Amino acid sequence: MSTAALSQSVLNGLALSGIYILIALGLTLVMSIMGIVQVAHGEIYMIGAYSVYYVVAVLGGNFLLAIVASTLFVGSFGVLLERLCFRPFRGRADRAFTVSIALILILQNVVLALAGGNPRTFSSPFAGVVRLLGIAISWKRLVIVLVGLGLLLGLFLFIKLTRTGQAMLAISQEREGAALQGMNIDRISATAMFLGCGLAAVAGGFIGSLFSISPTMGSFALMKGIAVIILGGLGSIPGAVVGGVILGLVDGVLPALTTTHIAGLVGFAAIIMILIFRPQGIGGHEG
Amino acid sequence: MIPSLAGIGIVCLCVLPLLLSGPYYVHVAILTMLNIVLASSLRLINLSGQMSLAHGGMMTIGAYTSALLVMKAGFSFWVAMPISGLSTALIAYVVGYPFVRLKGIYFSIVTIFFSEVVVLTAQQWQSLTGGSAGIFGISRPDPLSFFHVDFSSKVDFYYLALVLMLISLLILYAVEKSRIGMVLRGVQQADSLAESVGIDTTGYKVLAFTVGSFFPGVLGAFYSHYISAVNPDAFAFLFTIYILIYMTVGGEKGFFGPILGAAVLTVLPEVSRPLKAFEPFVFAAVLIAVIFFVPEGMAGIPHMLRRAKKGAADA
Repeated sequence: MSTAALSQSVLNGLALSGIYILIALGLTLVMSIMGIVQVAHGEIYMIGAYSVYYVVAVLGGNFLLAIVASTLFVGSFGVLLERLCFRPFRGRADRAFTVSIALILILQNVVLALAGGNPRTFSSPFAGVVRLLGIAISWKRLVIVLVGLGLLLGLFLFIKLTRTGQAMLAISQEREGAALQGMNIDRISATAMFLGCGLAAVAGGFIGSLFSISPTMGSFALMKGIAVIILGGLGSIPGAVVGGVILGLVDGVLPALTTTHIAGLVGFAAIIMILIFRPQGIGGHEG
Repeated sequence: MIPSLAGIGIVCLCVLPLLLSGPYYVHVAILTMLNIVLASSLRLINLSGQMSLAHGGMMTIGAYTSALLVMKAGFSFWVAMPISGLSTALIAYVVGYPFVRLKGIYFSIVTIFFSEVVVLTAQQWQSLTGGSAGIFGISRPDPLSFFHVDFSSKVDFYYLALVLMLISLLILYAVEKSRIGMVLRGVQQADSLAESVGIDTTGYKVLAFTVGSFFPGVLGAFYSHYISAVNPDAFAFLFTIYILIYMTVGGEKGFFGPILGAAVLTVLPEVSRPLKAFEPFVFAAVLIAVIFFVPEGMAGIPHMLRRAKKGAADA
């Protein structure tokens, strides 16, 4: 493979990394703070993609505006879900799991009924390529990397610098202890759902600028999100970043060298090995 | 009372095909029986406190094993089907040792990824498995002249599925009532306590995973010959999720729960079919109603009603 082709697939990989990291960050926030497995996270991402599609392709709105609107809408929807579906089962993983499975069915079918099953596409204003050191870089993918980095920095500062962020960290480590210190778990869980679902919506919006979207696109996102979290360790933000970069590069570069199936096999087999030999992941702690 | 109820049930199931109008309903009845066995065998694994999501992958392994043995190696279906079950169980046994060391959700996740690996392997290994398209034109089971069945109609498959279901449920029931079932419950409730009194918890968890995976292996073989085709993602993630739903909505505490759950939830979409686009919502609504209002599952409803009645009488 030539240098140009290799750097091209590395960039594709990094764009995928950006998407995976956004999905995984949201999933790990929700899972570690609420103590549940939210398998409908992929459907949240799918709704994010369809919200952007609706604003851009149907209403004819601006793409970036659509991303912001979709983030706010899906984030608020997440707060609603937290209140109605997850709060009653917080910390009871098995029943919350079943609720989120019911959500997969409901959300997929609502979108199917409203938008139909045909794959949809919408255009992004970031067309064309930038030339950097003789390598053509697609704007669309560069924007994803930049936005991903920006949101990551934002989330990092939020958790480091605000009281709410510190409370999130505390609750993810020790829920009962945090409650005993007077932290409002209801409010923090709602905040986590807002942020987590919002990040998924951004990921969905940007993936729609690269590929077509469909009501069943969520299970792919869920698999990748879980894989990244396992790689990095549950609840660890640096872990999710490292895991996302690794998996994105594997998915971006390997298919160019071999088949997509082998690339997928390598990814999943590696994650099974990591689970068996280092269950806490790269950045997670024992437990 | 239970044996007589089971007897009546079996008699009803034997005459059911005579009452069903048309092959489509026979097909639904076959699917219902398969789902009952899948949900019940999933519960056996669940008894050890481990929630497996590998049932779809195991069924894929069984389906391919049988299809390949019959189509490429010239085996009879009647030999290939048990071999499929056993080889699926063997694979479960081998991967089971490293897998069951993972606790809780990590075990479930590794079993999801295991299923993905099975699917991707079937897609990649084109020379053997036919790649993404799968294997077509899988022959019907050889005729059983003694019973006068040649598997030219769905009704013949119905009776085969019925026999498979009854045998499977008998085995699962016997395992649960045996010492093994008792130990598994002990492991589920207090893993480290069971280990401290000298029980090989890892061994028992692997045993539950192995025996519980034997059944999807056999059913995969049955299914590939029944629909005469198999492809890599026929039993993908959502398939396994549905089996899990049958089990949890039916109720995982008792033996009867998954049977009830699988039966009701397989037939429900057929009944609500006139509602067209709203049909999945009926399914989801039942699911949510059960989770919120009957935590013990559908099988717990009579118990709950009795308690409510008693409460009203006391008051």
